[in-house]
Amino acid sequence: MSWAGSILDGLTRDWGVDHPLVLALMALALLPFLATPFVRRGIPSAALVPVDPLSRAVAAALRLAGCLAILALVLGLAGLHRREQSVEREGTGAHLVLLFDRSSSMDNSFADRAPTGDQESKSAAAKRLLAEFVARRPHDRIGVAAFSTSPMPVLPLTDHHEVVDAAIDAIDRPGLAFTDVGRGLALAFSYFADDTDETSRAVLLVSDGAALIDRRVQDALRDAAARTPVHLYWLFLRSRGSPGIFEVPPGEDTPQANPERHLHLFLQGLGLPYRAFEATSPQAVADAIAEIDRQETRPIRYVERVPRRDLARPAFMVAGFAVALLLAAKLAERRLAPARRTRAPAAEAAPARRAA
Amino acid sequence: MNRVARVATAGAPLVPARDWRFWLLLVALLALLAALLAPRVALTRPARDILLVIDVTGSMNVRDYATGGAPQTRLAAAKQAARALLAGLPCQSRLGLGIFTERRSFLLFEPAEVCENFAAIDGAIDGLDWRMAWEGDSYVTSGVHAALALAAGLKSDLVFMTDGQEAPPLAGGRLPAFDGKPGEVAGLLVGVGRTDPSPIPKFDQDGREVGFYSEQDVPQENRSGPPPEDAPSRAGWNPRNAPWGGEPATGTEHLSGMREEHLRALAAQTGLGFAPLDGAPGLIAAVEADTRARPVVTRIDTAAVPAALALFCLGVLFGLGAISSRRPGRLPVQ
Repeated sequence: MSWAGSILDGLTRDWGVDHPLVLALMALALLPFLATPFVRRGIPSAALVPVDPLSRAVAAALRLAGCLAILALVLGLAGLHRREQSVEREGTGAHLVLLFDRSSSMDNSFADRAPTGDQESKSAAAKRLLAEFVARRPHDRIGVAAFSTSPMPVLPLTDHHEVVDAAIDAIDRPGLAFTDVGRGLALAFSYFADDTDETSRAVLLVSDGAALIDRRVQDALRDAAARTPVHLYWLFLRSRGSPGIFEVPPGEDTPQANPERHLHLFLQGLGLPYRAFEATSPQAVADAIAEIDRQETRPIRYVERVPRRDLARPAFMVAGFAVALLLAAKLAERRLAPARRTRAPAAEAAPARRAA
Repeated sequence: MNRVARVATAGAPLVPARDWRFWLLLVALLALLAALLAPRVALTRPARDILLVIDVTGSMNVRDYATGGAPQTRLAAAKQAARALLAGLPCQSRLGLGIFTERRSFLLFEPAEVCENFAAIDGAIDGLDWRMAWEGDSYVTSGVHAALALAAGLKSDLVFMTDGQEAPPLAGGRLPAFDGKPGEVAGLLVGVGRTDPSPIPKFDQDGREVGFYSEQDVPQENRSGPPPEDAPSRAGWNPRNAPWGGEPATGTEHLSGMREEHLRALAAQTGLGFAPLDGAPGLIAAVEADTRARPVVTRIDTAAVPAALALFCLGVLFGLGAISSRRPGRLPVQ
């Protein structure tokens, strides 16, 4: 029975019906083998009918037409359809986790004060540019995580970019107090823990500042980095007047005084392919995102979905042809008329062939 | 009759058969043609736009639900019911997700269509965890007020799942004022938990469970604002040095039961509905009752009606033929 099961599996994988119970009506398809649309008439002797292969073939074809009409109707009524198919294709893209800083300083403008008039807050600029970025990368699988005082998983890795857009839309909502970037990064790495695909994996950290990373979290991050090789991008939205991450400051150079620069040094030391972008204006953010877009163009297997196709109308069309055939045959049916006595023998010599 | 006569003179007295079988076949064919040309009718269905906010404060870790004989935390029960709600929403509904702790509702993502993004939203609800909470406080009333403002901005209805445990307790037991317009945002508060109090699990800084909160671990009385009117009758009261009395407050704030009265009062203040969480079907019914339906047009194919008529005709045609006698009763009349 395993072959029957596998055939059934093969059929139901690609094809389906909406109302399986209706399929019970398929039993009706046996009726055309028991009856015909023609009037049964007796003839005095079967020997009168000559053996005629063509008549037999036509009779069998009409029975099959009746059977087919009923089968097609039942399948159409049950809602026969070809299921949504997924075709695996090759494209360019990556598995990407967007890690957002949702601390309240992101709500300020690049000049680090409340945005006024035509100024854009850092989070609003990031939101607009990231939405464009996601729209340009249709084949990526994207997950979203956020951190502020605590790390928060927002969305698991998904192909559906509409919900990713909804998550990006939420980043310019008022944020929380602190910036716990270490645990946020640990959360982002954990997204790839059971992602065994051979595709390029990347974490895009978007933040406007950093904080000290707890020593234990640092160790955990080094572990995670060794386990899950990812590309790491840091889009640092630098406010005017705040220390940069690339230049060595003139005064004290400690993690406490310059957490951003030391986060940069720490990330460099993780042994991952890592790039930091320092953006001081919306235009710089756009350039950095374009650069990341260029970098992450390695082949990816992605799944393209072919939508479900309803087959009810084609089924009704088949049934229509079959019924039209039956009707044509019915129109060709002639019955024996009670003839005048003189012509009676002639009448009986012409039996309705298809009355069988 | 002319034609019959002509056929007869041609040598064969054959008459076209126009019996009931012919008419059934004709009706079946016409019905099938109608099915092929049948229009798609626009029907409206009630879709809903919902902002779901789930309380992730410490009291949601109380295990007072049970699933399959094993205790289940309030948060797990809320997540389970929320996922069932997500699955029960008709297509083109939209669902956004937020979490509540401290005094804020924090939006994770804006409402997104539920059918297309089902797996992602389902995964997001499943990923909610008490560790996402950024603060130990639980000002439920402020959280609901903030969530209402959030929902109004998103043009969604609010479903707020909480156990109603205020930590610290409300000053004087009075609800803070609501500056929005009651009833502007439709929705409901879902009371999560049993009403009889249970101990709240306590976690150390690494997230390991280390027992339960005791009476002195949590503030039993809110001592901000003016002292209550009965304060002068308390032991050790001194208007300047001990305006709340000389003794530490005692109470049962370290135990948590679902505060139904508080939640009902809050619901009445904000014009929301209230429903205790008791399984997914009840939640879906309550959400349908208390949120606004947005009619969306779906196209329904009407081809099935004439097609069913065609099938009926064929069934009658062949069925009657099959049950009527297989052999003709008699020979044609001579």
